[in-house]
Parts: sequence; structure tokens; C-alpha cells
Amino acid sequence: MKLKKVVSSITALTMTAALLAGCGGSTGNTEQTPTPAADNTAGQTEQEAPKQEETKADAETPAVEEQVLKVAAFEGGYGADMWSEVAAAFEASHPGVTVELTVDKKLEDVISPSMKAGDYPDVVHLATGREAALTETLTKENALLPLTDVLEMTVPGEDVKVKDKIVPGFLDTLATNPYGDGVTYYAPMFYSPCGLFYNAGLFKEKGWEVPTTWEEMWALGDTAAAEGIALFTYPTTGYFDAFTYATLSSAGGSDFFNKCMTYEDGIWESENATKVFELIAKLGEYTEATTVANANNDNFTKNQQLILDNKAIFCPNGTWLPGEMADAPREDGFEWGFMAIPAVNEGGAGCSFCWFEQMWIPAAAQNQDMAKEFVAYMYSDEAAQIFAKSAAIQPIAGVSDYLEGDNKLFYSIYDNGATAVMGGFAATAPVEGVNMLDTLCGTVNSIVSGDKTVAEWQAAVEEASDKLRAAME
Amino acid sequence: MKKGRARSVFIWVCVAPAVILFTVFMLIPTFNVFKMSLYKWGGYSNTKEFVGFNNFKILMEDMNFFRSFQNTILLIVCVTVVTMALSLIFAAILSREKIKGQNFYRIIFYIPNILSVVVISAIFSAIYDPNNGLLNSIIGIFRGKDETPILWLGDQKLVIYSLVIAMIWQAIGYYMVMYMASMASVPESLYESANLEGAGRIQQFFSITLPLIWTNVRTTLTFFVISSINLSFLFVKALTSGGPDGATEVFLSYMYKQAYTNSSYGYGMAIGVVVFLFSFGLSAIVNLATKRERLEF
Repeated sequence: MKLKKVVSSITALTMTAALLAGCGGSTGNTEQTPTPAADNTAGQTEQEAPKQEETKADAETPAVEEQVLKVAAFEGGYGADMWSEVAAAFEASHPGVTVELTVDKKLEDVISPSMKAGDYPDVVHLATGREAALTETLTKENALLPLTDVLEMTVPGEDVKVKDKIVPGFLDTLATNPYGDGVTYYAPMFYSPCGLFYNAGLFKEKGWEVPTTWEEMWALGDTAAAEGIALFTYPTTGYFDAFTYATLSSAGGSDFFNKCMTYEDGIWESENATKVFELIAKLGEYTEATTVANANNDNFTKNQQLILDNKAIFCPNGTWLPGEMADAPREDGFEWGFMAIPAVNEGGAGCSFCWFEQMWIPAAAQNQDMAKEFVAYMYSDEAAQIFAKSAAIQPIAGVSDYLEGDNKLFYSIYDNGATAVMGGFAATAPVEGVNMLDTLCGTVNSIVSGDKTVAEWQAAVEEASDKLRAAME
Repeated sequence: MKKGRARSVFIWVCVAPAVILFTVFMLIPTFNVFKMSLYKWGGYSNTKEFVGFNNFKILMEDMNFFRSFQNTILLIVCVTVVTMALSLIFAAILSREKIKGQNFYRIIFYIPNILSVVVISAIFSAIYDPNNGLLNSIIGIFRGKDETPILWLGDQKLVIYSLVIAMIWQAIGYYMVMYMASMASVPESLYESANLEGAGRIQQFFSITLPLIWTNVRTTLTFFVISSINLSFLFVKALTSGGPDGATEVFLSYMYKQAYTNSSYGYGMAIGVVVFLFSFGLSAIVNLATKRERLEF
């Protein structure tokens, strides 16, 4: 009996001790909590201290001592291989540097737990506009490092400054200077023109002309409707950000567009904005009937399939669409066509929103100097060529010349007279319960299905804009 | 005296692991949710600003939150009522009647429960497909093929019921098995004497089966509340992403959107607190309302 008691006590104590030890391990680098089981923690702290000194030392004599650069990159449609290749090339040109690479399709889920515990990557390649909104969150929290000095740096291995290598225009947008104050926080990476995709084969077969104005567009819509083909479809309402940005810019010019993006008072109720709202509403009437039912993450490819099946003519998307639908069955004679969005005003230029991914350095990064060096290296010819092999095109002059086939057509859209529109909504402090993109784009489903009127939509957008303006610094 | 003390030390030592686990994984996180709901915080930085009950004040004026509230309540009510009724009927039939292949049906009904919600969502998006879906094809036989298709996931008035159907389909088997387990323990002699006295099957169900499994039914009611709130998030996430235009937004999906997509972690936690109190309160009310004298057999 007594023995049994002793044995159970010991077992229970062991369990408790094991629990505590487990907690100690997971506390990671919280230096200020000396827990009883802190052997682990203490060890880590000791390791960290010299690392910081090391970084300081490096600032004076760069790239001599061994150092580790933690790079986290989003694995998009371009694949993960190009990242390992670039990392290897960077290591080769920077002796002593080891790049610790994290590449994942759900990068937020991989890096944010350790970020919450204070362990930040040094460089992150992750675009804005993703559902988890990690980039936006850090921006709203002022947790990014300004990249102003990176732009002044010389590209490693070359004698050009970073800012001179980047195509003009890419650094003056709200998608690189999120606070609208002229300070660059995001480095522009792979860009992709967004526009309307269609089946060029269908146009040849039916003898239709590709419309260049909205008048021609509606006329085509009526002709096609008679043959049971809808004019328009969209994968999810998420794609209306690019569509609205482009049409806003086309309706009122780039100044007007920037005022919309910085929430100027009454701008969403102005004449130019009204044109855009009404244009989308009219497009809603020409939208394929089942689009709304499939406009969700599970079924959006069914909407894209409508183009391949000649059930709808146009679909707004980015250049990744042909890759995404590469294995899908299609009508005979199918051929990808891609055009800019027709001008909103008569006689104006067509427009295409240029979407690009961004790279940034968290303010809490440990190895900031090497991180800046890495960002600068991204614009070297060596890196650009590695990326271009996977069709990931950076805004560096001449890089799109490496392209072949369909991609060449897509990237030539700006050569054919379309205006490039870049940017996005300015960053504000988080406003509880207000989500501009949801209000502006999500509502399109209700417009198409007739559950809301244009006036209600417009009023809701203006209301959200008012609330966000108050939160801008 | 000494023995008594040794005993209490022994008891403490034995319950310590469980208590520590409970504190670390239940009490502290719950406390943190309540604490975070009083802050304005994006989730990452060290700039937490104490805002008192401001998050709750905003919540009271947030129409989108109320819409998700309505949707959640609708789901809880519809799913609970229909699932409970159907699974009680099926359980009664399968345990009282002699049907060929009883075990087979039991397994068939239980299968949805072992499928993951993502798989179920994929099945239902195929069923609800407007053009080639099972549902529209069957309905098309009766109303003619030329009619415009019913948009099960696109019509804002219908879509929430499409979710209800999927959730019921998923839940029936689980509750049926639970009810069958307690029905099995009802003594056969009661039914025999009821038969002798001329009670029909329906009367037997209401006068014998239901009162005797009442404790079990009450327990499952709490399960219904909790699982409707939790599962609705998974279904919404996989099937509709809260769309079209927020028509299927529920408690947790809205909380997720606010806490992560909208960078308002504190606000998300405030929603979490409301959900916590709501589910606690609702379970308590349901428990009190269904309290009956316990019948022994």
C-alpha cells in the first residue's frame, strides 16, 4: 500500500516536472522571465547576446564574420525553386553569410507564431492584399523598417544605385510608400499587369471585333447574349480591387485615384467615382448568371472555366491565370487573349492595374544591415535572371525582354497605350469593424444579384472612407 | 493528524499535473482573451493601447457583427431542432424496430461524422453547383431544364439554409448514435407492459423512450450550441468564405476577419468575449429550461 503511494507520488511529481520543463522550452527568448526551469532560456539568452554584438561589428567590417540571414518568402505561382537558387547565389557572392530560407504557400501561418514570440525574420517577401493581411498588420502597427537607404545603396556586384535600376513610377505609389508620406517601406518585386482575359479564338470564330470602348463592349454584350454567351464573369469579388483601381484612374486621372486611395472627403461621391460605380453595376447586368454562386474560394475556378468553355467572354485577372488553368479542358481553337480595361471617358486611354508583390524588413529584424544588402541584391542582374527563368518579372528595365510566348503578350500591354495604374489604399491605424476592400469589392456580389443598389453601395464606401480618414496619421 | 496531512499532500501531488495543465491551457488563455478585449492592438507590436470597453462600444454599433449574430442564432436554432428531431426518429426506429441491415444504416449515418469538414464542403459544393449539381439536376426534372438555375450558394436569402442542410447532414449520425446508446439501456420490460396495455409505438416513444433518455437529450443540447458555433466557422471558411457579401458571416468567421484580416486583434477578442458569454449563457438557459425530475429505471 505504502509502496503504491510512493510510486504514484513519484509519477505525479515527474509529470509536473516534465510539464514545467516543457513550458520553459516554449518560452523561447523572453529574457525577462526567470522561470525555475530556465536552463534553456538562459542558454538562449547567452547565445543571443554575442549575436547582437556580432551584428554591430559587421556594420563596420561587413561580411567577414559568419552570420545568418533569415529570409522568409511567399511561394506563389512562380514556385519555390527560384528562391533557393537566389539564396545560393547570394551566399556565393557574400562569403560568410548563410541564408536561412523559409518558403511557404501559407507563409503567414509559418512565420507569425515565432514573430509573436519576438523572433522575426530579417527579410520578408510577402505581398499586401492577402487574407491573413500580415503585411498590412505590420504596416498599421508601424513595425517596418524604412528602405530609404536601400534605394541609395549600390546594387551588389554592380555600380548602379538601386533606385536607378527600378523602373520609374514603381517607387511613387502607395504600394511602396504605404503611409503616403514619400518614405518607401516595401521594395517592389514581381509585377503582373491585371486586365481582362478572353478567348481570342472565339473572336476569330464569330468574326467579332475586340471592343476598345465601353460602348462597343455593351454592343458586344447584346450580340453575344443572343447566342447565349455572357459578356462578363469574375473569379471572386477580390479581383475587383484591380478593376476598380484601374477604372477610377481612367475616370479621373492619377491625382483623383490617389485622392480615393487616401480617403479624401466626399471623393467617393464625386462625379468620377459615380461613373465607376455605375459602370460596374451595368457590367453586373451582363454578368453570367451563376457567377455569384461560384465566387468563393472553393469554386472560383468554375467561373474561370466559363472563359475556356465559351460561356462568358471576359474575366478580370492577373497574368497567373493561364498557369492556374493550364490543365483545364477547353473549347477547340482556344487561345488566350488579354487586354487592358477600356477607357471610362470617351477618347481616354485604356488602363491596367499593375499588381506587384513586395519585400520588406521588419523593424524588429536582428540582422538589418545584411537584410538591406539582400534587398539591394534582389535588383542585381544575377538575381533578376534567376527570377525571370520562373517568369517572375521584377520592375527592372529590360527584364521583360527575357519573356517568351503568352507571357510576352501579357507584359506588352503597357506598350500598346494602356496606362499603368499602381498603388492601393493608404495604410491607416486599424479601424475596428471597417474593411475598405470588403465594402468596395465584396459588395459587387450584392450589386450583381440585385440585393443592394448602387446608391447604398456608394454610401457605404464613403462611410468607410470617412472612418478610415480619421485614422490616418 | 500526521496521517491526515500526509494524505492531503499526497492528494495535492496527484492532482497537480491536471491542475497545472488546466491552468496553463484553459484558465490563462481565457483570462487573456478577456484582458485583450480591453486593448487596441494589431497582434504583433508592443504598442498595446488600453481602451477600456471601447471595443464593446464599437461592437454594439457594428451592423456586420449583428448580421453574423443573427446568422449564428439561425444556424443554432435550425440545426438543433432539425438534427435533434431527425436523429431521435432514426435512433428510435433503428433501436426499436426490426429492420434488415440495421448495422449497415448505423454505419451509413455515422460516415459523415468521420469525414473532415473540408471534404464535406467539397461534396456540398458539388451538390449545390448551379449547372451540373445534384440538387439542381433533380429539381430540373420537375421544373424543366430551361428555368434559371437556383443559386444555392449565390442567393443571399438561400445560402444560409444551404449551410444548415450541410451541417444537419454532418451532425445527424453522431447524435443518432448517442441517442441509440441511451435507448439501448431502457429496460425491455417497460415496452412489454406498454404493449399489453395497448400503447402504440408513437405513444411508447413519447411516454417511455423520451422521458427515460431525457438526461442524455439535455446533454446533447449543450453540445448542439457549442458545435454549431464551432462547425459553422469551418463550413463558412471552406464553403462560402462568408459570402456572398457577408450573407453567411457567422460569429467566429467575423471574429477571425477582424482579428487577422483587419488587424484589430483586440476587437476580435472582444467578439470572442461576446461569443464566450453568449454560448455560456445560452447553454445555461437551455439547461434550466429543460430541467425535469430525473426518472429512474
